[in-house]
Amino acid sequence: MSVLDEITRLQNEAIERIGKSDSLDSLQEIQNVYLGRKGLITSILKSLKDLPNDQRKEVGASANKARVAVSNLLNEKKESLSGGGERSAFDPTLPGTQPQTGVVHIITQVIEDICNTFHGMGFEIARGPNVETDYYNFEALNFPPDHPARDMQDTMFVEHDRLLRTHTTPVQSRFLETHKPPIKIITPGICFRNEAISTRSHVAFHQVDGFVVDEGVTMADMKGAILAFCKAFFSDDVKLKFRPSYFPFTEPSAEVDISCFLCEGKGCRVCKYAGWLEILGCGMIDPNVLEKAGIDSEKYSGYAFGMGVERPAMLKYKINDIRLFFNNDNRFLRQFR
Amino acid sequence: MKISYKWLIELTGLDWNPEDLGDRLTLCGTACEYIDPADQYMHGVIVGEILAINKIEGADKIRLATVNLGDRQLDVVCGAPNIEVGLKVPVATLGAKLDGGIVIKKAKIRGIDSEAMICSERELGLSDEHAGILVLDSSATPGQELAELLDYKDDFMMTFELTPNRPDSMSAVGIARDMAALASVKVNKPTFELTESEEKASDYIKVTIEDEVACPRYAARIIKNVKIAESPYWLKKKLVLAGVRPISNVVDITNFVMLELGQPLHAFDYDRFGSKEVVVRMGKEKEPFKSLDGADHELTSEVIMITNGKTGVAAGGVMGGFDSEVEDGTTNILLEAAYFNASMIRKSRRQLGFVTESSQRFEKGADPNIIEYAIDYAASLLQSLCGGEVLAGIVDCYPSVIEPLKIKFRPKRCNDIIGTELTSDKMKQIFEDLEFTVTGDTDFEVTVPTFRPDIEREIDLIEEISRIIGFDNIPSSNTNIGSLYTPIHYEDKFKKEMRTVLTGVGFDEFISHGLADSKLANLLHTDRPQLKIANPISEDLDIMRNCLMQTAMTVIHHNVSHRSLDLSIFEIGKTYLPPDDKDYWAEDESLVLAVTGNTQHTWRDKPRPRDFYDITGAMKAMATHFGWGDFSFEAKQFSFFEKEISFEISLNNKVCGLIGKMNSKVSKKFGVKQDVFIAELNLAYLLSLSNKLIAYQPLPIYPAALRDLAMIVKEEVQANELLQQVKKSAGKYAESVEIFDLYQGKQIEKGKKSIAISISYRSKESSLESAIVDASQQKVVADLVKKFNVEIRDK
Repeated sequence: MSVLDEITRLQNEAIERIGKSDSLDSLQEIQNVYLGRKGLITSILKSLKDLPNDQRKEVGASANKARVAVSNLLNEKKESLSGGGERSAFDPTLPGTQPQTGVVHIITQVIEDICNTFHGMGFEIARGPNVETDYYNFEALNFPPDHPARDMQDTMFVEHDRLLRTHTTPVQSRFLETHKPPIKIITPGICFRNEAISTRSHVAFHQVDGFVVDEGVTMADMKGAILAFCKAFFSDDVKLKFRPSYFPFTEPSAEVDISCFLCEGKGCRVCKYAGWLEILGCGMIDPNVLEKAGIDSEKYSGYAFGMGVERPAMLKYKINDIRLFFNNDNRFLRQFR
Repeated sequence: MKISYKWLIELTGLDWNPEDLGDRLTLCGTACEYIDPADQYMHGVIVGEILAINKIEGADKIRLATVNLGDRQLDVVCGAPNIEVGLKVPVATLGAKLDGGIVIKKAKIRGIDSEAMICSERELGLSDEHAGILVLDSSATPGQELAELLDYKDDFMMTFELTPNRPDSMSAVGIARDMAALASVKVNKPTFELTESEEKASDYIKVTIEDEVACPRYAARIIKNVKIAESPYWLKKKLVLAGVRPISNVVDITNFVMLELGQPLHAFDYDRFGSKEVVVRMGKEKEPFKSLDGADHELTSEVIMITNGKTGVAAGGVMGGFDSEVEDGTTNILLEAAYFNASMIRKSRRQLGFVTESSQRFEKGADPNIIEYAIDYAASLLQSLCGGEVLAGIVDCYPSVIEPLKIKFRPKRCNDIIGTELTSDKMKQIFEDLEFTVTGDTDFEVTVPTFRPDIEREIDLIEEISRIIGFDNIPSSNTNIGSLYTPIHYEDKFKKEMRTVLTGVGFDEFISHGLADSKLANLLHTDRPQLKIANPISEDLDIMRNCLMQTAMTVIHHNVSHRSLDLSIFEIGKTYLPPDDKDYWAEDESLVLAVTGNTQHTWRDKPRPRDFYDITGAMKAMATHFGWGDFSFEAKQFSFFEKEISFEISLNNKVCGLIGKMNSKVSKKFGVKQDVFIAELNLAYLLSLSNKLIAYQPLPIYPAALRDLAMIVKEEVQANELLQQVKKSAGKYAESVEIFDLYQGKQIEKGKKSIAISISYRSKESSLESAIVDASQQKVVADLVKKFNVEIRDK
């Protein structure tokens, strides 16, 4: 067999092997066998010098052509095996240049949610001072001096006969004094209790109170409004349970439980397997409160309600420590983008 | 308030199961909090008879008792001193779960296999008694279940969370009354027989009330020749399941009647009373009194005292005295049933410093007219259970009888308030079920018994109707009453937008409650007064903050100490100052901005320290958003800022805040060791400048001409001075003037800096000719050279 035939044979053999190869390792081996330092095609090229001049040129050209053909095929196959196609130097996987943005505090977010819902129902926002007088915090709300009801709200007092409001309801006392019905207000804000700080209780917490005064307002209106809010804020299929309770400023008074939105009332750890969560207090505004503000309680009636902000937030986001809200740890805050 | 389930069932004859009973009461306002099986700590506990007791080698305190459990014998290691052969005792067997989390498992004690335990009352959840094991009745059968023996099976401890307006619920009969009203049945109140002897009680005791307001009624009975002993089992069980520890028959009877009827009673040892008269008066300042728990008190004039005419024998309505307490040897009893003024009892017990079962009932409002019934009931029990001889008559001092209240009630008004269509007959029925009497047809006159002091007005009666029909039976309206239009106050919108802008430029919002530490406040605005808390929960929360910087520093400290070193934070919140003479107090809102640590490090941006300009940049973002104009900064020394970086902030020539670099010594006192830049701004002022209606400006038609100007100037010349000058010199066509480069270092002489400014010229009327622009530019250069001695650099 002539050298030229041998070259053709080697080339075909190599091409066939490359075609059958299915791994980079075997391609490397093929490369070594034919094109390596001691490869079969390489050896022919190396041995050109031993050939007679007349053959050298022809064999040389043929062997070189075979080398290039095999080499190109090898590279092509290598690329296709390594998932290849064309790769460019542009790397889209580098992280995008995201400008640093901040986060609104979770309590602000929850208050805003609550207020937006009530705003949709026609309530207006009113605010008042955090440092209050005994009159607006208690007396105007029908807490007689020295009444056991005051024990329900451990009070922090400040100098100058003032106290830190124990609920946001004093905004109601102030608003009723200066406005004429119809009145339809919500009052978001912070309030304070003289309680030890623990995972479950804090010296300060936020509350949203609301109240409506007009002619002919009934408990049925109150139930309807609270149901509407709970549907909008928690879930459309929420169920409510009204339990009679006692607040000095409402009569009748009720505590409202909602069906647990985590287990849909089936019972879970969060609702302590009761299927219900205590969420809100409400009632018909006591005639004494209206009269003290100069509103005729025979002509007008009204309802009021109040709810904490931290508690529903804790339930909703499964937060187990109330202190996290005031610690302002940014690893906590940034979870609520 | 705790009462056993079976007790309530006995009183009503209803067949409700415990959960049902709890739910129904909760839905009418008597909230049932817990229902605990009475035998919850008795599963696997059986009666054992001690057959033998042997010493354990090397142990003095514990012994080995062999007990007969009916079907088997077991050796039990026991440490109680009161075990004896022949006693019947409760034995907790393998797997039993006792009070206090004790679970009986196989164990080795001193090398002896132990798989049972002889129990004390505490381990069975019966009382706090733990000195020895519980000795059972000798008639008990070994192997019998303890719960069965004690009749604890199928009974439950019902715990009620009562609202402060319902003193009537503080008794078994009171709770039963709500049950009866729900079911429209009658309460089976206790009936009894009482045989009085011929001797008159009034020969033994006289009652005088000196203060009729404090004590409107005081009744006494004399019971002679009682025999102090242990109470019968049925009585002890009722007390235990109501959470009251049995003591002796006489004391137990007074507690039992209180639990059943709600009327607190007190039994004195007549022979140690010290006289034949009871005088009720207010205490005297510094008068000594020893209460039956052995504590010595110094009285004030706010304590209601029961005296023997000379010395105090009891703090009325709160606690008996030590010297006249019923003891084992007591034979003759002076039994007291009284009615005290609620708010005066409240003051009394506050002065004395404790709350008792008795004071809780009086301070919420007891029933002045149940006294005869209660004292007779107790006397009959003292007769039947203690063998006492009840002397004839009640010595009853009741100068002004308290009559039941009559209240006008309009059924229509009731339906109008609760939104129902109940009939008058239905309402009448409810009142009668609650033991109220009703007269009248269209409008009622309702007579409210004195056990319901909470009912004073028509609205209170409306509440009774609503809670008995159940709030769930009141319809839910679908009508949105009141206004449909509601303004959003700009203040709320303003704050919301401010939060959006600031979070958009990378600041995180924090919120504070405003309580702060006066010691840390003293490091900041030393000249500002502090609003002190009179009863702080801790000394580091003893004032309301007088600036927001303090809470910002506290937040930075919290984060830095948790290795979150890089922060940009803000708060919108209140600061507090004490009220002044005019009954005014300042509660102003501020905005605080603070940065510390480095900017974020990405593959593209290298981090740099956050600084002053990160804050003024955020301020500029707000100024742009709200259209405030430019802030200016006047150097002003604040003790808590570093000298060189301490400024007052002005907007439109009015001071509205401060900004600076926190003094490192002050930072360290807050526990922060890295640089902090901070600004605080008056929110009300910023608000007053906002909410401008934007008027559209036509878009420019003609092109702008841009000119750059680089100059070298002394480093103390401030950027703003140059910009203001350029604006002034460049004339009416100067549309904007911006700094685009700042350089100090090599090639620039020390003490100088290179600043480059770009000026954009534009006319609204035409394209500007370059001659006009060049002329303006020349004037700018000339003025800058003249004013600031700048050296213009060639491009």
